[in-house]
Amino acid sequence: MRELTIDNGIRLLDLSVYLEESHTLIIADTHIGFEEYLNKTGVMVPRFQLKELKKRLLEILESVDAEQVVINGDLKHEFGTISRQEWRDTLDFLDFLMGRVGRVVLVKGNHDTILGPIARKRGLEIVNEWKADNVLVMHGDKEAKNLKGVKTIIIGHEHPAIMLREKNRRELFKCFLKGTYRGRTLIVMPSFNLVTEGTNIQSSRLLSPLIRNIDEFEVYAVADGIYPLGRLSDIK
Amino acid sequence: MRNKITFKRKPNTKEEVDKILNPVVKKWFYSRFKEYSLPQLFGVSEINSRNNVIISAPTGATKTLTAFLSIINNLVDLANKGLLEDITYCVYVSPLKALNEDIRVNLLRPLEEINAIAGRDLGIRVAVRTGDTSTSERSSMLRKPPHILITTPESLAIVLSTIKFKETLRNVQWLIIDEIHALADNKRGTHLSLSVERLRRLANDFCTVGLSATVAPLEEVAKFLVGYDNDEPRRCRIIDVQFVKKMDLRVLSPVPDLINTTHEAMQEAMYELIDGLIQEHRTTLIFTNTRSATERVVNHLKERFPSRYDENIGAHHGSLSKSVRHNIEERLRKGELKVVVSSTSLELGIDIGYIDLVILLGSPKSVARALQRVGRSGHRLHDVTKGRIIVLDRDDLVENAVLLKSAVERKIDRIHIPTNATDVLAQHIFGIAINERIHIDELYSMIRNSYSYHTLDRAVFMELINYLAGRFASLEERHIYAKIWYDEETGMIGRRGRLARMLYMTNIGTIPDESFIEVKIGSQPIGKIDEAFLERLKRGDVFVLGGEKYEFLYSRGMTAQVKASVYKPPTIPSWISEMLPLSFDLAMEIGRFRRLINEHLESEPEEDVLNFINEYLYLDENSARAIYNYFREQYDYSIIPHDRRIVIENYYDDKAHYYIFHTLFGRRVNDVLSRAIAYILSRIHNMDIEMAITDNGFYVSSLKKLQVERAMKILRADKLEMLLRLALERTEVLRRRFRHCATRALMILRNYKGRSKRVGRQQVSSQILYNALKRINPDFAIIKEARREVLEDLMDIKNAELVVRMIEEKKMEVKFTSLTIPSPFSFGILLSGKSDILKIEDRIEFLKRMQAMILQKIQLDKARRK
Repeated sequence: MRELTIDNGIRLLDLSVYLEESHTLIIADTHIGFEEYLNKTGVMVPRFQLKELKKRLLEILESVDAEQVVINGDLKHEFGTISRQEWRDTLDFLDFLMGRVGRVVLVKGNHDTILGPIARKRGLEIVNEWKADNVLVMHGDKEAKNLKGVKTIIIGHEHPAIMLREKNRRELFKCFLKGTYRGRTLIVMPSFNLVTEGTNIQSSRLLSPLIRNIDEFEVYAVADGIYPLGRLSDIK
Repeated sequence: MRNKITFKRKPNTKEEVDKILNPVVKKWFYSRFKEYSLPQLFGVSEINSRNNVIISAPTGATKTLTAFLSIINNLVDLANKGLLEDITYCVYVSPLKALNEDIRVNLLRPLEEINAIAGRDLGIRVAVRTGDTSTSERSSMLRKPPHILITTPESLAIVLSTIKFKETLRNVQWLIIDEIHALADNKRGTHLSLSVERLRRLANDFCTVGLSATVAPLEEVAKFLVGYDNDEPRRCRIIDVQFVKKMDLRVLSPVPDLINTTHEAMQEAMYELIDGLIQEHRTTLIFTNTRSATERVVNHLKERFPSRYDENIGAHHGSLSKSVRHNIEERLRKGELKVVVSSTSLELGIDIGYIDLVILLGSPKSVARALQRVGRSGHRLHDVTKGRIIVLDRDDLVENAVLLKSAVERKIDRIHIPTNATDVLAQHIFGIAINERIHIDELYSMIRNSYSYHTLDRAVFMELINYLAGRFASLEERHIYAKIWYDEETGMIGRRGRLARMLYMTNIGTIPDESFIEVKIGSQPIGKIDEAFLERLKRGDVFVLGGEKYEFLYSRGMTAQVKASVYKPPTIPSWISEMLPLSFDLAMEIGRFRRLINEHLESEPEEDVLNFINEYLYLDENSARAIYNYFREQYDYSIIPHDRRIVIENYYDDKAHYYIFHTLFGRRVNDVLSRAIAYILSRIHNMDIEMAITDNGFYVSSLKKLQVERAMKILRADKLEMLLRLALERTEVLRRRFRHCATRALMILRNYKGRSKRVGRQQVSSQILYNALKRINPDFAIIKEARREVLEDLMDIKNAELVVRMIEEKKMEVKFTSLTIPSPFSFGILLSGKSDILKIEDRIEFLKRMQAMILQKIQLDKARRK
C-alpha cells in the first residue's frame, strides 16, 4: 500500500497528504525550476522533473476523489528573474492540476516572492494559510498566529529525510514527521521535488520555528509505501 | 613495416658532438664542463637532427642540458646570422611550476655566459608562462615572444586557445616534455597528449623530446610521447641511460625480531636507527608515504633528540603552502638543512642541492618509485645513489627485499597509461571549437594521432559530439546545454555563444578540486580529511587517519573535532586513503619468491633454505632469518600462497565467519577481485557483505557461513566487467569519480559567471546530475567514463581479468583451508585492510528490515518499562 491513515481522516499518500472530509490533496515544496536554478549556477542538469512530477501526481490523483489541491508553499524555485520557459512550465503544471480538480489553492512559501503574476494569470488565490474544519495548512517558515479551533497543523518547508544506517551502509529516505506544536498535532510534509533527496533531519539545522523537540517526532519514511519508524529517538 | 620505435644503443663520439656545436657554444660548454655526459653523447646529435627522442635517465644525469644544448646551439647560430625571429622556437613543458622556475634560471645563466663569450647580447629570450603569470607579463610576451617558452600542460592548452598567442607558436621546432613519467600515467598526460597534437597541427611537424626518470615500458612511453601519424607510430629513438648511476641500496629493520617487539619499542628503535643514519651523513632526505606521517616523523625527531634537530629539520609536502615549500627548497640548496622529510612532493626533479642519503619509511610499493626516490641522492652523475628502506613488519620486509632485488636486477614495473578518456576529450573538442570551424572527420583523425586516443571508437567520438552539441536534451531546451555549434549536414563544428571562451579558460584542466578539513583534538591538529568525507561523518563515527583511529565529535567551519578512539572499530571506510598501491609486476615478483621458498621448504633442511634466501635476496643475516621464520610458520600451519596459487582460508571468531583470500596482486587488482566475489556472495545469500582489501589479499566476512567455493566457480574473466559495473553502482568511489569526470567534461562548471563552487557543492550537484543523466541514458558518455576511470585507472581490471583467466585455464591453483585461528600471512590482511560494505540489498528491502528492527526495539523497550 502506498498510503497510511495517521489521524482520523488524514491519510499520508506517497509524498502528499489527503484530507478525506474535505476531499483535499496537499503537496508541498515542488520547487519547479530547480534544474534551471542549477543550470544558472553552471551545473548542466537536464530537465526531467516536470514530466515526472505530473506522472507521479497523476497516480495519486487517480487513487483518491480529490476536489481540490492545496500547494503548501514553494511551488516554484525562485532566484531572481524567471525565463519564459520556466514561466511556461509553472503554468503548464497548474493547468495540469486544474484540469483534474475543481480548485487549486496556493499557500505562500518563502520562495514564492513573485508568485503573484502567475497566480493572477490563472485567477488563483494566494493565501498565507488555508483551513478546513480543524486542519490548518501553512508553509511553516514563520510561527503560527491564530490557532483557535485548530487540532492539526500541516507544514512543508523542511524537506525532511531520514538517514537509516547499518554498519557502513546508509540510505536516505524522504519522510513525514508527526509531533506536537502548542498542544496541536503537527505534521511536517516531505518535499514533492523529485530532483533533490531531502534534508537529513539528524545532521542538519532545522529550518521551521514550529518544530521543537524533534527527537519526540514520529517518523514515516516514504518509499514504495509509507513506513512508520517510531520516534526519531528510536532510530538513532 | 619497419619498427618506428627504436633504441639507440651506441653513443656518438665526442668529436661528433663537438662538430655540431657552434664555436661560441662549444667554448662555453668546455668552460663549464670537462666532458660530455653519457646522455649528451647519446642525445645532442639526435635533437640537432630533429629526430624525436625519449631520454630516460636518473635525476642529476644532465638530461635537461642534453635537451637544450643543441637547441641553444641552433638559436645562437640563428642569432649570429641575424636570422633570429620574434617567434617561439622551443616549447618546454613540465608538470611542476617550481621546476619551470628552476629551468628558467638554469637557462638564463648559460645564455648570459654565452653572451659574454660572444661579446654581445645575442638576444635569445626565455620566458615562463603558468597560471601565476601576470597579465602584463603575458602581453609583453605577446609583443616579444620568448624563443624558448617554459610552461605547464594546463597553460599550454590555454595558450593554444588564445588567438593572438597561438600565432607565436606557428614555427615551433622543438617540444620538450620533462618528467614525462609523471604525466603518462594520469589524465594530465592525456590532456597534454591532445594539446601536443593541436600544437602539431598548428606548427606542422617538430622535434619532440621526452625526458623521463626510470620508467617502463619505455617503448610505450615513447609512443605516448610522439603519437601516431594516421595508422603508424611516429618515429622515436629511445635513449636508455636509466642505470648510469651506481646504487647502494639496503633494507633495514630496526630490531632483530619484527614479531615480538612492542609498538613502543619498535618506534624507539626506528627513531634511533634514523637518527644514526642522519648523523652519519651530511644531508638526508626521508620519504614517507603520507603527508601526516611526514609531520609525525619531523615532530618525533625533534622531541626525541632536541639537541640535534631544531632549525636544521624541515617537512615538505603538498598540503604545505607554496612559500613554506620554497623556503625548505632554498635552505636545502644552501646546505642549511641536515634532514628533510617529504611525502611525494620532492620526488620530481626540483633542484634540491646535495643529498647523500635517502631513507624510505614504508614501502615505496613500486621499483620505479623506489629508484626515483633514492635517485634524489648523489645528484651528480658520478655520485653513488644511496638509499635505505626501513621496514617495520614481516610483510614489509619480504616486499622490500624483493623490490630491492628487482631494482638491482633492473626489473622495472610497468606503468598504466589511460586511454580513451572521454571527459578530457570533451574538454579539448570544446577548446578546439571555440577557435575554429573544423570538420569532424579532420578532428577525429587528429585526435586519433594521440597515443591516448589512438583506439578511440568513432561511435564514442560521435557520442561526445552529440553531448557537446546538447543533443541529449529535447530540441527546445538544447540551447541551454549545447556547448558547441554542430551542423550535421556539413559535418562542421565551431564556437557557440559569447561566453564560450571565458568558460573554457576558467574551467580548463584535469586536476579535481579537493578541499581539506583540518582534524583536531582540542587545538592540536591531527591531519586533514577531504571535505566530501566530512559530509559522510556523523557524531560517533570512527575513522582512520594516518594509521590512527579517531571518533568524530563535530565540525565547525573548516575544522573537525575528534577524540582518539583506540578500542572502537572504524565505522567509515576512508576512500581518500593516500596509500600507494603495490604495483602488479612487483606483486608477481613477490609471488614468485614465495613459490620458490615453498619449493625449498618442501624438500630442504633449514640451513639450505636460509642459504637460498641469502643468495636470492640482498639481505643481512637477521632479515633472512626473519623471512625464513615467517614462511616456516605459514608453511607448517597453513599453505603458502604464491604467484600460481591462491589460498582461501576461513575461520570463525565467535561472531563472524571470515574468508581470507591470499591474492598477492596489489590493491588495484584486489579491489576488483574482492568486489566481484563480494557481489556474487551477496547475490547467493541475498545480503550485504563486509569486505576489506590490502595489497596482499582481501577478506569477506559475514554472520552466516558463505558459499565461497560456489562463488569462485561463478567468477569468470569475461563476466568481471559486468559484475563490477553492478557492484560499483551505488558506491562512494564512483560518485566521486563521476564528479571529477563531470567537471572535466564541463558539465559542472567550477567557475561560472564569476563565482567558484566549493567541493561540497560540486558533489551535491554532481549527485543530482548523475541521477538525472541515468534516467536519460545509463550509458551516457560521462557516466561511462567515470566507470572506466574507476575500473582501469584507479583499479586494474585488465590484470584482474588476467588472474581470473589463469584460474580458468588452471594455471592458477585455488586452495581452500579451514583454520581455528588466522594464519601468519593473514594478520596483515585482517589488521590493515580498509573495510567496506558491498551494498546489494535492495533499498526497499533494506528499509523493511530496518523498520522491523526498529519496531522490535520499541516493543522491547515497552516490555522492559512494564
